[in-house]
Amino acid sequence: MTEFAIKLDDVCFSWKSGTAPVLDIPHLAVPAGERLLIQGPSGSGKTTLLSLLGGIITPQTGTVDVLGTTLTQLNAAQRDSFRADHIGVVFQMFNLVPYLSLADNVTLPCQFSAVRRATALANAADLTAAATHLLSQLELDICELAGRPITELSVGQQQRVAAARALIGAPPLIIADEPTSALDADARQLFLELLFREVEGAGATLIFVSHDLDLRSCFDRTLPLADINRAT
Amino acid sequence: MAILSLAFKSLLNRRVTVGLTIFAIGVSVMLVLGVERLRHDAKTSFTNTISGTDLIIGARSGSIQLLLYSVFRIGNATNNISWRSYQDIASRKEVAWTIPMSLGDSHRGYRVLGTTADYFKHYRYGDGNPLAFAEGKPFIDMFSAVLGSDVAHALGYKQGDPIVVAHGLGAEGFSKHDDKPFAVSGILEKTGTPVDRTVHISLAGIEAIHIDWKSGARVPGMGIDADAVRQMKLQPKSITAFLVGLKSRLATFRLQRAINDYRREPLLAALPGVALQELWDLMGTAEIALSAISLFVVAAGLLGMMTMLLSGLNERRREISILRTVGARPGHIFSLLVLEAGLITAAGALLGLTMLYLGLLAAQPLVVAEYGLTLSLGLPSARDLSILSLIASAGVISGTIPAARAYRQSLSDGMVARL
Repeated sequence: MTEFAIKLDDVCFSWKSGTAPVLDIPHLAVPAGERLLIQGPSGSGKTTLLSLLGGIITPQTGTVDVLGTTLTQLNAAQRDSFRADHIGVVFQMFNLVPYLSLADNVTLPCQFSAVRRATALANAADLTAAATHLLSQLELDICELAGRPITELSVGQQQRVAAARALIGAPPLIIADEPTSALDADARQLFLELLFREVEGAGATLIFVSHDLDLRSCFDRTLPLADINRAT
Repeated sequence: MAILSLAFKSLLNRRVTVGLTIFAIGVSVMLVLGVERLRHDAKTSFTNTISGTDLIIGARSGSIQLLLYSVFRIGNATNNISWRSYQDIASRKEVAWTIPMSLGDSHRGYRVLGTTADYFKHYRYGDGNPLAFAEGKPFIDMFSAVLGSDVAHALGYKQGDPIVVAHGLGAEGFSKHDDKPFAVSGILEKTGTPVDRTVHISLAGIEAIHIDWKSGARVPGMGIDADAVRQMKLQPKSITAFLVGLKSRLATFRLQRAINDYRREPLLAALPGVALQELWDLMGTAEIALSAISLFVVAAGLLGMMTMLLSGLNERRREISILRTVGARPGHIFSLLVLEAGLITAAGALLGLTMLYLGLLAAQPLVVAEYGLTLSLGLPSARDLSILSLIASAGVISGTIPAARAYRQSLSDGMVARL
């Protein structure tokens, strides 16, 4: 495996060409297996940074290296399948596709990635079993919840379903974008504990962005975005 | 495959709006196919009504009107023609056979046709098919009636049953010739032409029931009973029209001209084929208008679907960016929307087809009874299928507009839709 899960060099990104860059990062390296908290106020470019890591956008200059693959050298389709295969994402809220069942939401990445499907199936009879197992690890009982539409789950439950979706098929990189900001203190604590346990179990790297300074104690390292980003 | 199942589940999630859209498309598809079928059946029914007849002759009016009342039994003759003129023309050397027709009475809503046994011998329909008897035989006496198959079927008549002819064409309750009942002597096989809905009696029978009538009413005190009439030698003074078969077709135009120039009374000889074509052309404009309207209805249905998909896109931004995040490419998003459009259109087409057949099934008895048109319930024709596939492609194509929008949206929104 590679030494670094993520390596950014001389990355400069602006949403519209000609405007001031949102991100200007001379260097960022994240060792594989690290739990990193990127901290910064709203609008400081945290989400944009995650989109760069996910290969959804590409910087105007510089290189983005994720898990040993240089994303900036791939075309859009290659980046899409790279993301499908290697990255799990949890958003702040509204993480779930409303018309899919609980299990379908969790197994969604396996529909787009043969790699993650194969990994998920390596330890389970079928995808639903894999989803059920992951959900139970995250203390959600699929039998109890399956009858209801997923939109009726509590926010805390929805976030854990989203975590299960990010974790299925054991992608080596998990990206979380303020996943706890909509949760109360108890739910936040539970969510973080469960997420860390699963990430650790899978040996994945976790990039977690938040404005919340209270979370620092839970992470290996905390990085204020302002420290690495030269753009204001 | 994953996208197809996503499209299906996403539509299921919006079942009310999607259902309404499918219904709208279904109605339009039903309309298009219905109009198409009606047109086709009307034409087939038309061309099948009469064959083998060289000329139709009646009082001078228009050939379409003559065709309508003599062959289709719709409407009335403006005038009768005299028996003498009929005899005169029937005896010409180029004439092989004639079928005299006397119309004007009815039986429980079905037209009564006074004719001779030659009708059963010479009348041809469809591809030259003669009339065949399902049971019984032609007229055995003055008060015999031969029923078309629909008449017998609808009214439940069997051979030997009595029939009372009503005067005029009103449905029920008008003056009836109930002093001289007829007996069913035979029932014809189904032909799919107006013959099925006709009660045939002999010309002498027509004369007999009117012998004590004058100007459409019974003459008081002048009751002549059936047995007395039976003894009389009755000859009609006039008939409504007659069909002519010639020994050689080459004589058709010469005879037609001779009849149209007939000195003794104003007559009209019409060529059935030409009159059929004229009648068909007359309906051509309506036909085109109907087709055009139904196509516009389809366009409206598809526009409705496009509107639904487009207006749904905004609230689906989040969903689309989730799909992108888990690895869906913009192409996947595009095909998701196109598949949704395709599924809606396909469901609409199926629904339309179902409604068409149910509608045909429901409308068939009414249309046959009211308009004499047999609607076919057969499988969709090649033309139907090509219309359906045209609608399906139009649906998929109109799906590309919201799809292209979703595609662009998914590119610019990226991983996080800013709401």
